[in-house]
Amino acid sequence: MQHKKRYATLVLTIFMALALIVSACGNNANNGAAVDNGSQSGADAGANNGGTSEELTLKLLMVGAKPVDYDVVFTELNNKLKEKINATVEVEFLDWSDWTQKYPLKFAANEDFDIAYTANWAFYNDQALKGGFLELTEDMLSTNMPQTWAAMPKVAWEQAKVDGKLYMVPHNNTEVTDKVVLIREDLRQKHNLEPVNSPESFANYVKAIAANEKGVTAYGAKAADGWKWHELDQILLEQQNEWNLVDYNVPLAYKLDDASGQLFNVYDTPEFKSLLTYYKDLADNGAWSKNVVSNKNDVWQDIKAGKVASYAQNLGTVAANVAEARRDTPDLEMAIADLTPDKKKIGAISTQNGMAIHATSKKVERSLMFIDLMQNDKELHDLVMYGIAGTHYEPVGDDKFNAGPSAANYTGFSNWGFNSPLNRTDASYPQEAIDMSAEWESKLHHFPLETFVFDDSKVKNQVASVGNVMLRYAIPLEYGLIPDIDKGQAELLKQLEAAGINEIQQELQSQIDAFLANQQ
Amino acid sequence: MNRHGFWGEVVKHKTLLLMLTPAVLFFLLFAYIPMTGIVLAFKQFNYAGGVFGSPWNGLDNFRFFFDSGDAWRVTRNTALYNIAFIIVNNVLQIAAAILLFEVAGKWFRKITQTALFLPYFISWVVVGAIAYNLFNYDVGTINVFLRAVGMEPIDIYNTAAYWPLILVIISAWKAIGYGTIMYLAAITSIDTEMYEAAEIDGANVFQRIFKITIPNLYPTLIILILLAIGNIFRGDFGMFYNMVGNNGILFSTTDVIDTYVFRSLITSNEIGMSAAAGFYQSVLGFATIMLANWAVRKYDKDRALF
Repeated sequence: MQHKKRYATLVLTIFMALALIVSACGNNANNGAAVDNGSQSGADAGANNGGTSEELTLKLLMVGAKPVDYDVVFTELNNKLKEKINATVEVEFLDWSDWTQKYPLKFAANEDFDIAYTANWAFYNDQALKGGFLELTEDMLSTNMPQTWAAMPKVAWEQAKVDGKLYMVPHNNTEVTDKVVLIREDLRQKHNLEPVNSPESFANYVKAIAANEKGVTAYGAKAADGWKWHELDQILLEQQNEWNLVDYNVPLAYKLDDASGQLFNVYDTPEFKSLLTYYKDLADNGAWSKNVVSNKNDVWQDIKAGKVASYAQNLGTVAANVAEARRDTPDLEMAIADLTPDKKKIGAISTQNGMAIHATSKKVERSLMFIDLMQNDKELHDLVMYGIAGTHYEPVGDDKFNAGPSAANYTGFSNWGFNSPLNRTDASYPQEAIDMSAEWESKLHHFPLETFVFDDSKVKNQVASVGNVMLRYAIPLEYGLIPDIDKGQAELLKQLEAAGINEIQQELQSQIDAFLANQQ
Repeated sequence: MNRHGFWGEVVKHKTLLLMLTPAVLFFLLFAYIPMTGIVLAFKQFNYAGGVFGSPWNGLDNFRFFFDSGDAWRVTRNTALYNIAFIIVNNVLQIAAAILLFEVAGKWFRKITQTALFLPYFISWVVVGAIAYNLFNYDVGTINVFLRAVGMEPIDIYNTAAYWPLILVIISAWKAIGYGTIMYLAAITSIDTEMYEAAEIDGANVFQRIFKITIPNLYPTLIILILLAIGNIFRGDFGMFYNMVGNNGILFSTTDVIDTYVFRSLITSNEIGMSAAAGFYQSVLGFATIMLANWAVRKYDKDRALF
């Protein structure tokens, strides 16, 4: 009768099941072949020094939309690659709209590809634990990607290990994950407000805008996107108190200066309680829309249209926003505000971006050589990151660039996996952001648990339930939609307990203890 | 039946069988073969093992759903919403079909029919965006209007109690065109001699509707309801997700199995657990449809599905 499309899990499962069954017979054969190939090509490698005699086509899986000028750039890239390693590449793009569904399917169906973009936010741990990626040994890395092996800090490899094994060639880029706030500098000056550099001055700014600027929402958030731990929480709870949340799907954190890594429930702290009062005060003063948890608009577009006066994001994103605004909407003056300037800064772990080898790839050596070139060959790196000089970008010196006439035709996909010290910075990138990030790097705090990764396979039921409770009880509470915050917090804690937060805490703590014991 | 008889039957009905083949193949390929995937509900899935080689883990995959304490709430919500949709949608569709049939003007009928059918083609994503612009507290059309006439604005997105009604209305609005056409087709196929005879006997328009049209619609109605009942434990994900999204305040009255499972598992990407939830829905749906069919059979053998 009605053949309505359902995107729900069952149909997904059925399609997956179908795809699997169709490929099931070939599956074992493939696995076997891969093993054979491994030992064989090992021999080959010895025989003909890396073995680039046979021409190969490497298949890449990237997330993001296919750039308009993909053909132009990659034809150029392939010409050079053929010369250097006798290989060409073909990229398959998984569009942003449904990559989270397609990405695991590519592995489940064991499709034919060699290299996959991955990241801690893009299924890295998950796929590694499920056996989607090939384990990379030191031997393989030092033989096939000598330049990367030399250039990459050892800690980056350590951070990319899951359960002690490496499955990814991480990008080579230090980055601070701290979040900042984008504000409207012109509005701040118009209302004679003090500079925004602390939670209090931010509250003043937001309240003043809410009271005096009709038709402007003071703070914009896209709470409807299903994230359980928001940028403002990250700033006002984690950064402000120098905590670190182990996994953004579970509200468990430890203090940065606590060498023993004792976990606690962030929702069950006086700091959270006072943050709730802070949030409630903002909400009651109309700082954000009453329907913030149903908001379907793109916050940045609303800011550009002058409808929203602040939001929180990564420094890199906000800086790019400021650069874009200076180009497109010069009448709106924007500024970057760090609300926690004096606190310890945490470096992004290397798995923020990276490339992994598909477990059943038969072109492992060449794939590693390819990644090596992408990260360390200046000419190829420029090509894959920025496109063709003069068309997509204008090189400025050796380390800067300006957007070219058709910059928009080569952008928007996960080539960040190839980030390296050879990256150029946008010449229009705001100076204050460069300064800020330089200052952060000087305050970068390193601690033993930095490289710890949570393996939730033993408590996945509880993690799923806790995530649900965070969405259902914590988010509305934080956005001030629950009239009585004490009752709301009590209810949240009760529900978390019922969902099994204690079992997660036990499991996580024992993993942390074991990790720390191992390090000594 | 002997072999000759079987082949005899095949030859005799070859045209009908040929027409049946695509549908049989479709269901074989997309419903029966994938059914073996149910084993995933009892397995700890990994890529090395695939569907059949992954290790068994008993009923572990079902635990997340039942241990959470939400199983009863979301199952109840799913069933109640679907019952409401079945009743409201069918009543409205039959009413619309009869009205369209009785209306004389051909142009009016065509235009109305098209207008009713239009929402069916609007994607839920778009409907969700339209709803947001209608219901939004600050700038939504409804509240702008209420403020303009001096009334208090209503905070729809923060009030769970409104949502059952909103969802029922939206579902009816979207489904009415499709159902109306099916019922209209059923009405057109009613023997016109009956109406002529009724007219000669002096029946008025209401008597015609209640004594002839509606009783003749029963078979269609029963089949449609039986088919719908099989899906009573499946929430319309597109609708619920796009209308409600991740708004926790509304979950108490709007969470259905499909949205709950999606939300819980979207980050963990556990195929086994979603297969378990799907299996749970299928078992419940199977039981309900058997029960409903049995009840119809008891009442009137000819009207049951099987």
